[in-house]
Amino acid sequence: MSIEPFMQRALLAALVMGPLCGFMGVFVTARRMSFFSDTIAHAALAGVALGFWLGVKDPTLPMIIFSLAVALLILWLKERTDLLNDTIMALLLSGSVAFGMVVLSLLKGFRNELDRFLFGDIFSVGWGDVQVAMGVAVGVSYLLFRHLNALALLTAHEDLAHVSGIPVRRMNQLFVILLTVTVALSIRLLGIVLVTSLIVVPPATARNLAQSLRQQIILSLFLGLSGAVGGVALSYPLNLPGGPCITLTLIAFFIFSLLISKLIRPNRSSPCPL
Amino acid sequence: MEIAFRQPKDVVVEVTGLQVRLGDTQVLKGVSLRVRKGSIVALIGPNGSGKTTLLRCLLGLQPVDSGSVRLFGKVPGPESFRRVGYVPQRLQVDRSFILTVREFLAIRLPATRGWFWRSTHFIDAQLKELVADLDVERLLDRPLAGLSGGQLQRVLICSSLLNKPELLLLDEPTAGVDTPGEKDFYELISTVHRRLGLTVVLVSHDLSMVYRHASWVYALNGVICCEGPPEDVMSADSLKQAYGIHMTPYQHHHHVH
Ligand SMILES: Nc1ncnc2c1ncn2[C@@H]1O[C@H](COP(=O)(O)OP(=O)(O)O)[C@@H](O)[C@H]1O
Ligand SMILES: [Mg+2]
Repeated sequence: MSIEPFMQRALLAALVMGPLCGFMGVFVTARRMSFFSDTIAHAALAGVALGFWLGVKDPTLPMIIFSLAVALLILWLKERTDLLNDTIMALLLSGSVAFGMVVLSLLKGFRNELDRFLFGDIFSVGWGDVQVAMGVAVGVSYLLFRHLNALALLTAHEDLAHVSGIPVRRMNQLFVILLTVTVALSIRLLGIVLVTSLIVVPPATARNLAQSLRQQIILSLFLGLSGAVGGVALSYPLNLPGGPCITLTLIAFFIFSLLISKLIRPNRSSPCPL
Repeated sequence: MEIAFRQPKDVVVEVTGLQVRLGDTQVLKGVSLRVRKGSIVALIGPNGSGKTTLLRCLLGLQPVDSGSVRLFGKVPGPESFRRVGYVPQRLQVDRSFILTVREFLAIRLPATRGWFWRSTHFIDAQLKELVADLDVERLLDRPLAGLSGGQLQRVLICSSLLNKPELLLLDEPTAGVDTPGEKDFYELISTVHRRLGLTVVLVSHDLSMVYRHASWVYALNGVICCEGPPEDVMSADSLKQAYGIHMTPYQHHHHVH
């Protein structure tokens, strides 16, 4: 049995982005940045709209640039103002979506594109996209592993990280940049609306089963991979959209893990607060 | 000017005319102090008197409005932090973070930087000595976020000693520790102090423990109200000056309920 080329590309993209998001997500969830991740995903919509407006064919780059600008703006506002964190993010999330929609409406003819970006279009992934995804996944994973200790310490306690000689501010910025690039590239798979599920659900599932950070990272890598590849593999024969299938597969794993953790360790005090 | 060149080698911490404003409060109004190598210095003072702020200034965690801070004769920076162990006041680890005590300690020990790829056996062998001393062995598999106050303090002390510091900064290290645990804790600090020749700066409200273990006491209330050996500072008069109200001074054989 041969796999059709578009399916090969889709599976490869899932194979690469799934584990990367799972890894990234361990720190996103532990640092309570799920909403942050969702905000920069939605900011991508404004980037897409601006890209079309400027006449760019492939809006990936403007998407990354705009998301990055919003991410750094959040960090800056957090440092410089007394505004509450989630207030800032809610404002930028809705603002970006509204702005993106207005620009797309003015441009006309891009209505169809909207769905692709909101809900993903994994079967339209080209070989070039797969290559970019692979390169980014290798680069981002390398940096995450390289700075694993700094990230873990930073997540446990920022002041201790500082005293251990970790450049806290620079490390936070690096993390946000890596997260933004990962999210922007995963939008092709899951779309703006659902991309956060690939970042948040695998580590949450792993959290229910793991007893240490190392176990959580390994499990989360594996769950991201299985969920993404499994979702894509299911979606085609069932003639269902890819993104939602990935999300539902991931959530099925999560429910399963919750049941297992309740059965095996019924008195465990804190399942993951998803 | 001349003083700057005459700085004795054995001064580990030197703070001069330190002023810090937080919001509308002038928290530190010109604090000067010196900590000599090998001493145990206690910082006492009422809540909100700026003890935590002062320690944070030493570590570059709090920007300084005016005055100067020197650690080992230098402006505080990553170089000097490498020689410092710090136990912050009331550390809280987010419960959603699953980092175990073993992992937390392994991250901070140079020999186990690559803990992710190493076996538990290897990590435990590296940690063995300190962990046994501090009775942390039983806690290695527990998540850091699930420890009780006293257990967490022990782990934090343990971790602050991993890089073999020359200076230990402890901010209310026994808050949340029960009385017997507290006694053990001060004995432990004394032992470590003697054995490693550490310099210790600690913030504490437990005057009897301060009396017993400190070699020098600074009473802080925005400024240094008084300083000296414990038996001088902890008299009724100077405590009243520091705390602004009358406090029962520490007495020999006085038993704290
Ligand atoms: N971020 C802040 N903004 C404004 N005031 C603060 C801030 N942090 C601390 N303070 C104030 O600074 C004072 C000193 O605090 P602190 O150094 O923690 O005192 P201590 O450790 O001696 O109890 C307190 O009055 C406190 O209310
Ligand atoms: Mg304090």
